[in-house]
Amino acid sequence: MATIANELRRPNIATANVQLPSVRDYEQVTDEIVGTLRFSKGWFAALLVAIACMLLGAATWLYQIREGVGVAGYNPPVMWGIYIITFVFWVGIGHAGTLISAILYLFRAGFRTTIYRCAEAMTVFAVMTAGLFPIIHIGRAWKFFWLIPYPNWRLLWPNFKSPLVWDVFAISTYLTISTTFLFVGLIPDIAVLRDREKNPIRKSIYAFLSFGWRNTEREWRHFARAYLFLAAVSTPLVLSVHSVVSFDFAMSITPGWHTTIFPPYFVAGAIFSGIGMVFTILIPIRKWFRLQHYVTLNHLDAAAKLALTTSLVVGCAYLVEFFIAWYGGVPAEQDYFWNRVFGQWWWAAWIMITCNMILPLSLFSQKLRRNPAWLWILSIFINIGMWFERFVIVVPSLSHEFEPWMWGGYRPTWVDYFMLLGSFGWFFMWFLLFIRQFPVIAISETKEIVPPRVRHAHVHTPVDAEDFEPQTGRAH
Amino acid sequence: MRGVLGHFKELDSAVEAIAELRQTKLGDVTVFTPTPRHEFEHAVQPPPSPVRRYFLVGGLSGCIFGYWMAIWASEYWPLVVGGKAIASWIPYTIFGFEVFVLVGALSTVAGLFIHAGIPRLTMTVGYDPRFSDGDYGIWVECAPGQLASAEALLRKHGAVEVRGER
Repeated sequence: MATIANELRRPNIATANVQLPSVRDYEQVTDEIVGTLRFSKGWFAALLVAIACMLLGAATWLYQIREGVGVAGYNPPVMWGIYIITFVFWVGIGHAGTLISAILYLFRAGFRTTIYRCAEAMTVFAVMTAGLFPIIHIGRAWKFFWLIPYPNWRLLWPNFKSPLVWDVFAISTYLTISTTFLFVGLIPDIAVLRDREKNPIRKSIYAFLSFGWRNTEREWRHFARAYLFLAAVSTPLVLSVHSVVSFDFAMSITPGWHTTIFPPYFVAGAIFSGIGMVFTILIPIRKWFRLQHYVTLNHLDAAAKLALTTSLVVGCAYLVEFFIAWYGGVPAEQDYFWNRVFGQWWWAAWIMITCNMILPLSLFSQKLRRNPAWLWILSIFINIGMWFERFVIVVPSLSHEFEPWMWGGYRPTWVDYFMLLGSFGWFFMWFLLFIRQFPVIAISETKEIVPPRVRHAHVHTPVDAEDFEPQTGRAH
Repeated sequence: MRGVLGHFKELDSAVEAIAELRQTKLGDVTVFTPTPRHEFEHAVQPPPSPVRRYFLVGGLSGCIFGYWMAIWASEYWPLVVGGKAIASWIPYTIFGFEVFVLVGALSTVAGLFIHAGIPRLTMTVGYDPRFSDGDYGIWVECAPGQLASAEALLRKHGAVEVRGER
């Protein structure tokens, strides 16, 4: 016992020890997490704001459909702008959820347990948001289905060698699998809600969604096996999706795009931005719902280390890009990179470098890693920085290609900005609706790290430190 | 279907009861637990889950379909570019991989549903809402003559509530 108490007091035990010392038993877990579903005025106000932003975006889209995509500020040579930037931004946000729920599950990183549900839900809604932007971008949204291979009377098929068709497959597979992963993990928790719900309508909805889950040992056995395989298959998927998104750029011969570093660079950036958004969402949730004893400082510390690591990888990728441009000796490439940082787009590039490379270095300080207020502020900078990273990738390359007579600028219009705002409204609307109906922390998985009630203290009881598996905190 | 439902507050009590029920062979045992516990798996000693086979079959089928779809469509409507292959396996690996993941994962979920017996329309006998909260349950399905013995065994191991159901 003394050993455990010492472990819990140790300040920096970010990944290994996932004990929740303030959580006594399973009933407390159920009560406190189900308690987050209660209606509150703050939640309702936030939902109204999100819906208002979403409606603003929707109205702007209708205006664009009526007037044509030209109202969105596209002018040659920059024909990819805010929409593609925002598409890549939201796909990137969608990466942290699967990273936390699948990859960290396979690595037995215990700190994921109480944060992965939020991250998974965020993933699904972020990918739903991202999926809208290529449709918005093409202008004639009703022609989008042409990208999907289906038997048709014209006997036409999409070009399977086009990165845009790869994207359709990658994003739709990712959305399907992320949603499946989220829902499968939710089934036992929905059964908890079903068993506690008093309102007959909500009870019958939960009963339907829980599929008659009864918590039998047989169900859990197959569930654990299926969950493991879903995690195993989601792991390469999460790495592949943003690689495929990066091919949209890397397959062209445009300066700044035609580079083999793009897939790992995009994946690291996506995970970095996703963790940023996890902090943006999770820190207020943990405060408003008083879940500080579930999402402890140790959890935030561990996630902050992940953010720091990915920030260093992204920073390294930025520097390698410059090195390759110099070392490669291609004048157009060199000129482009000079223009990116010291020329036309210096302001965007320096926002990116400051937010993504310089400010996250503060996470080397343990004190700041364990400071929720700083983490939240930093997460906002990361979100801004990662959006600008995509701006810096998309716009400067198109505006500064090989021939000087092709060079130009880009000025987004109010349509672009309102659509961007609408995307945040759409995302947060779904997220707010989700946290009102479903638990933001996985109930049954959290119970796994809470010591069970026992009659004889030394029979299969995680009372002694040697009874713990070091990585998960579970009993042997 | 007739049997006895024992309701336990402590994990070790439930595990001991299962071990003895297996020894005495009073009837089929179903265990309810709010969270998966390896102690129950050791006590029940179930066979390995076959869900992995669904993943294997689904994944391989998906991979083959992904490649086939891209190759067939390219051959059916050729986009001839001088010196380039009509069907090129390198970019088509993306389709092989994506459809492998898609069908493999959905097959895994289908395997979970089939073997876990869900969706289930009714809760059937032997379920109590407390089993999703913090308590453990053991449902022993046995012949009418064995009911009293099963009930006595469950009580002996510390069941806080025992009730017959049918």
